[in-house]
Amino acid sequence: MSRKETVRDLEHSIIMGHIDSDDEGYDGMMEGTPGTMELVETALEEGIDPQDILTVFNEAMDQVGVKFESGEYLLPDMLASAECVGEAMEILEPKLAAGSGTGKGKFLIATVKGDLHDIGKNIVITMLKGAGYQVKDLGIDVPADDIVAAVREYQPDYVGLSALLTTTMIEMEHVVKKIREAGFNGVKIFIGGAPTSEEFARKIGADKHCRDAMDTIEKIEETRDVS
Amino acid sequence: MRLLKDQRIPWLTPEELKAVHQGSCRLLSQIGVKVTHERIARLLADSGAHSRGSRMCIPEHLVDKALSDTAKVIDFNAPDPNKRFTVDAAADEVRFGTGGQALYVVHRTADGWEKRPAVTGDLRQILTLCDQLDQADFVTRPVECDVPEEQMDIEKAKLFRAHCTKPMNLANLVHTKNLDGIIEVIGDQSYLSFIVCLVASPLSMDTSAGDKLLALVEKGLPAALSSCPQAGSTAPFSEVGELIQLNAELLFGIVLANTIRPGAKVLYRGIPITSDLYTDGSPRWCQPESIRRVAIAAQISRWYGIPCCGTAGVSDQGVPNAQGLSEKILSWSVMAASGAHYINSALGMLQQVMSVSPYQYVIDDAALRIVKEELTASPQRSIGDTVLASVQRAFSYFGTSLDEPSEQEMRSRIAHVETAKEPYDEAYMNKQIESIEKAVARESGSSIFMKGARKGLREGYLYTGESIPAELDLEKVRKRLASYAPEGGEIYE
Repeated sequence: MSRKETVRDLEHSIIMGHIDSDDEGYDGMMEGTPGTMELVETALEEGIDPQDILTVFNEAMDQVGVKFESGEYLLPDMLASAECVGEAMEILEPKLAAGSGTGKGKFLIATVKGDLHDIGKNIVITMLKGAGYQVKDLGIDVPADDIVAAVREYQPDYVGLSALLTTTMIEMEHVVKKIREAGFNGVKIFIGGAPTSEEFARKIGADKHCRDAMDTIEKIEETRDVS
Repeated sequence: MRLLKDQRIPWLTPEELKAVHQGSCRLLSQIGVKVTHERIARLLADSGAHSRGSRMCIPEHLVDKALSDTAKVIDFNAPDPNKRFTVDAAADEVRFGTGGQALYVVHRTADGWEKRPAVTGDLRQILTLCDQLDQADFVTRPVECDVPEEQMDIEKAKLFRAHCTKPMNLANLVHTKNLDGIIEVIGDQSYLSFIVCLVASPLSMDTSAGDKLLALVEKGLPAALSSCPQAGSTAPFSEVGELIQLNAELLFGIVLANTIRPGAKVLYRGIPITSDLYTDGSPRWCQPESIRRVAIAAQISRWYGIPCCGTAGVSDQGVPNAQGLSEKILSWSVMAASGAHYINSALGMLQQVMSVSPYQYVIDDAALRIVKEELTASPQRSIGDTVLASVQRAFSYFGTSLDEPSEQEMRSRIAHVETAKEPYDEAYMNKQIESIEKAVARESGSSIFMKGARKGLREGYLYTGESIPAELDLEKVRKRLASYAPEGGEIYE
């Protein structure tokens, strides 16, 4: 396979949300053909510059964004593509020269204590990784002290807190308070989940309320632009 | 309301029901449920379950024993003896009640509708209102109250005791340590029941819910075991796959409850809905494919011969309108005809389960009366015709009519509810079980289910119809709402 063909196939594979050869891809017909993970390995073996591969990722995701905006792609299609990029970045990141990564920032995310729901959180994680952010996922039912400890260790630029239940969203206030009391006043705290709102975010001292994954990315970008 | 046996819709054949049961038993015995609660893991192990890492695998004989042991008759007593009732798993009696725990109240203003956060006064007012609604056989705690979490259980118990004469469903027990206090405030524990969401989908037990189930079952209190997977995010997108998983999660709860106390008073409350994969993954409660799946869950419960708690009427609409009314009527009718005994009917609820409106309570009370009348008036009629007749009558009651495009839209929704799209054969079931196994093995299982949804989405599994735009005349509702004010007191404007 020529380098040109590899690059073309890699871009197509991301657009089709075809992560590996076990995956059926966008149209349910791609199982058994090389997916993004295999093609990234091939590209590296063929000596394609990791920075050029990163460019392919970005261009492919731009096309996926256009398809989603136009309604051609639905949420699972976009997530599948974002997952391709997020997983492939695990292979690519160590190969990129120091300082030449995406450098968009670090995002720590957790579902708060008492809540076991992770749909929204996982969508956000996949989209953030696909957009080039480094994401640390603490999982579900995470106590406030564990989140503060992770902030101390991981030094994120952003913290995302998720809750689905009206009974657990109140835990978010506790977490925000503990993060601030521990002296992490610069970290931006985003909250999300069905029962939360802008008003609730303001009330508990969070920086932003996010409606969904796309809104999260837009609000991070806003925050980055301001800073 | 009593339905005739012939009115029950046989969504699945006995062979298909058995296949779902066997698929669920396979999930329970081979994959199991994640349990991190030490006492519960020990209880299950002592009764014959075996552990595989953090998962407890339940052999089929334990499921059979639990189904046999579980209480088949549950009394729901009430402060007013005329309002008490009994759920008998073998009977075709249907009880409707409110749904619960909204965060906001939607008020009518001179400019339209305004949504405000619910406060304790709202809980008092809405309980007073629900107690007077003719069609609410029981009351589930309708809204949150703005008291500190530690006091929440006792405060809501006080309000129920003061303003509710019907069987009381307190929904979520916030702290198990408050249970004795709640019973003391209420004065008679036979008035009480609860809802426990024991398992987070897919197949992971919530430790705190486990504590709650222990406390409730040990006291002999009735609890609806609830599971609400979302197809395409926390369960397979496929109807078959989602039902197998849901049933396994509920069977796990039934096994646990009967391990804690044989003869446990638990209700099977399956809410297998879909995710809105066109936009943001949010739940689709009242859409036709979700109504169909929840209805089949009720049929599974009846096949087991155990008490069934249904869920219906959860509209996506944010304010009272014709679209919401049409969604609720379809959902209530199908749920009743599927065999549920005790239905959380989302009376008064809007915006899924986030808001309630005093106006919507009164609208729903009138509409549900019509649904009941239509269901019992012509037992031989198809459910589709019953739904259409109910919508036509309800629209007429609110001063409007169902025009031709809207009638066509209702027919499309009914057809979507009634149409099976998947085989219930072994090969297809195996494929679904494999996808659940993959998702369970992976921390972020939702992406497995979402990716598996791509093909089905293009094949039209999720209903995409038109909104029904008719304008409702709410003057009757306003007058009726005013008539509910207690003497010398006030109720919502």
